[in-house]
Amino acid sequence: MQRRFSSVVLIALTVLFAGSAFAGELQAGGAVTGSSADYYGQLINVITGNWQEYGQLFTLLQSQWFSKIFLVVITAVPAVFLLHYLIIGAKHFDHDGEQIYFFSLFARIVHFVAAISFSLLVITGLMIIFGSFFGGGMIIRTARYVHLVSAMVFALPGLLMFVMWLKEMLPQFHDIKWIFILGGYLSKKKKPVPAAKFNAGQKMYFWFATLGGGIMAYTGYIIWGFGATVDTVRIYTMLHNALGIGIVAFYLTHVYMSVFAIAGSLESMKTGYKPKDEVDILHSLYKY
Amino acid sequence: MARLKFLCDTERCIDCSGCVVACKEGNHVPVGVNRRRVITLDSGKPGEKSISVSCMHCADAPCIAVCPVDAIYQRDDGVVLVNKKTCIGCGYCFMACPFGAPQFPKGEVFGARGAMDKCTFCAGGPEETFSAEEKHLYGQNRIAEGKVPLCAGMCATKALLAGDADVVADVYRERVFQRGSGSNAWGWSKAYDKK
Repeated sequence: MQRRFSSVVLIALTVLFAGSAFAGELQAGGAVTGSSADYYGQLINVITGNWQEYGQLFTLLQSQWFSKIFLVVITAVPAVFLLHYLIIGAKHFDHDGEQIYFFSLFARIVHFVAAISFSLLVITGLMIIFGSFFGGGMIIRTARYVHLVSAMVFALPGLLMFVMWLKEMLPQFHDIKWIFILGGYLSKKKKPVPAAKFNAGQKMYFWFATLGGGIMAYTGYIIWGFGATVDTVRIYTMLHNALGIGIVAFYLTHVYMSVFAIAGSLESMKTGYKPKDEVDILHSLYKY
Repeated sequence: MARLKFLCDTERCIDCSGCVVACKEGNHVPVGVNRRRVITLDSGKPGEKSISVSCMHCADAPCIAVCPVDAIYQRDDGVVLVNKKTCIGCGYCFMACPFGAPQFPKGEVFGARGAMDKCTFCAGGPEETFSAEEKHLYGQNRIAEGKVPLCAGMCATKALLAGDADVVADVYRERVFQRGSGSNAWGWSKAYDKK
């Protein structure tokens, strides 16, 4: 147990150090020599950091790519799931038979708080990205405030989930098999899939949400207060947006799986119980 | 229509910061915001040079490209302006700007940045010209009055030029010619100047 905690602290420290290393760059005036071109070159470095390297890249990504990629993610991912729902359909399990206690009350409360704040983060984040669609102004400004408050709320359950489920979320050999058959979701047959308490998909989402969430929280904190040199802020903003793409994709997947793809599976996060029928198929390696 | 541009002659700028004060005072710029500032390199050493920097009102301005709420726009005369009622204070324009022009007042809720404030070329804002609201949000509209921006108007050494790009360029070309500043070609000063 102690070992697990120290590894968490170690990861947090690594993230912090990586951040301060970036902040150490820049701020080098140097003697002005040579032509006026050299002079302007030095001057611009003092004013706006290494614009050629990071400012230009940020401008390109933010003006051309981020919103387009996000648009593709929030349309294509649900479209694929709609097709899945129509062609293959939801998996149904016998909810009247034997039940297995799967999530403790503590886990459920933590997950519930995380779910609300994380959903708000995704929604307000997307609102900011598509701000021009809503016309900007007060509504998007409010979305930014909600984004910040939700991030602060998510921090605690995010950390608790990380510690609580870390052992079960570590990658295992059978996860590769799970990925190869895509968790059996492409077939209507109920064949036991190789997964213990959490399947490979859940594990990927877990790492995106906790470790990725930690990176999002730290970069977001720096972006919010401009707490570093402009080059660092540029890098963090690009990181924040790029990671956000993956997180939104997995968030949509998680919502589809829990609400639609496995009928009634949302109940287990409310009551704590999963039908034995469901566990034997979808979490066949789980020992109860 | 004429294209409006700024030009700061570094051979003439003496770091008096008169342009900064004139702008801040004349436009009632929010606390913590300077639309213009003077930057000095090699202060106190031989070859010290200063330049007054603000928004350059770029053609193909990166701030306009990155704004997620389309709050920034460009007039036909090249002046880039922000609509403070649309701006959400995300700061992307600051990250995209090659001149560090966009500024943000502090003191909003949760320490958030307020609406972006930057040089308007003394051309007011999107509100009705000469209205009280325009003056309150964006400062004077001297362009509509037929005057040059405050900073350039009061510059004691006439280092800072503002106005029709063709006229500004002519004035500067004349100065460079009279000064005989050398070729300014890349590498010449390093290669041929005798120490």
